[in-house]
Amino acid sequence: MALLLRTLARRSAGLSRPHYAVLCRHTAPMGTTAEDEMNKFWAKNDKLNRPMSPHITVYNWSVPMLMSITHRGTGVGLSGAISACALAALVLPGSFPHYLDLIHSLSVGPALIGLAKFGLAFPVSYHTFNGVRHLFWDMGKGFKIPHVYGSGYIVITLSVLASLALTCL
Amino acid sequence: MASIVLLSSVFHRGAKPLFHRGALLARPLVVPHKDQESPFLLSARIHVSQTVNAAAGSNAASLHWTGERAVSVLLLALGPTAYLYPGAAVDYSLAAALTLHGHWGLGQVLTDYVHGDAKIKMANAGLFLLSTVTFAGLCYFNYNDVGICKAIALLWSK
Repeated sequence: MALLLRTLARRSAGLSRPHYAVLCRHTAPMGTTAEDEMNKFWAKNDKLNRPMSPHITVYNWSVPMLMSITHRGTGVGLSGAISACALAALVLPGSFPHYLDLIHSLSVGPALIGLAKFGLAFPVSYHTFNGVRHLFWDMGKGFKIPHVYGSGYIVITLSVLASLALTCL
Repeated sequence: MASIVLLSSVFHRGAKPLFHRGALLARPLVVPHKDQESPFLLSARIHVSQTVNAAAGSNAASLHWTGERAVSVLLLALGPTAYLYPGAAVDYSLAAALTLHGHWGLGQVLTDYVHGDAKIKMANAGLFLLSTVTFAGLCYFNYNDVGICKAIALLWSK
């Protein structure tokens, strides 16, 4: 987008009165889809064995960026945990109460139990609240930068509070 | 995803409105390209994939997107429902909604990070297998064991 604006600005400096309606006549539909173009990009760069350009190691991290990857991380983590439980249910011989009693008998101590509960509650809370934030974006609301940060801080606060509340339940 | 072309919003009359434009939610996919015949005029090559597909009658991607949001909202509603009315109906609904939400979510992750036709196919096949096993396991747990709601209640009672 910025490239287009800069190119336009450069062009209009040379022309006396840029007629954008005229420019529309020079648009030509491409034969390929955006997905094809993207695949061509990856194929070419793979074939030439080019290294990945530094991005996450170079770019300054921001709160929205961190929250976004955390949303993805909690999602993948929770999904993995659910799949692991489902697999365990199919493979392991005993029943759930049986294995729960096994863990009980280990007498872990309240601090560790609290920590474990918080460790389970926080990903669920964070992913849920940030998910709601995503749904607001899907409705087209809350894209202004101050709102993105504001809603972000609200999600973090609510997640921590909800996790604490669930831990103490 | 869909390549939406909004020529009217980019080629607006005069430069000022263009710069003071508000949030452009649908970004035009325009590639500035130097036209050989008239090098001083900006030429744009545009992606018309979505319009082409629309003409061909496929709004699969759009329906998928809507489906994802619908399942998300359903899952959101199932949370308090599971707390207030635990039981078999909620157990199986949770199993279905959790598996589908996870399947589609992981599908987006694969789409973002896996490239190359063969790798994409394999990754999606693996994901399908995982989701199937997950759903089977959760249903088995609901049927032969205490069920999701009761399990969480027992786990938390410690």
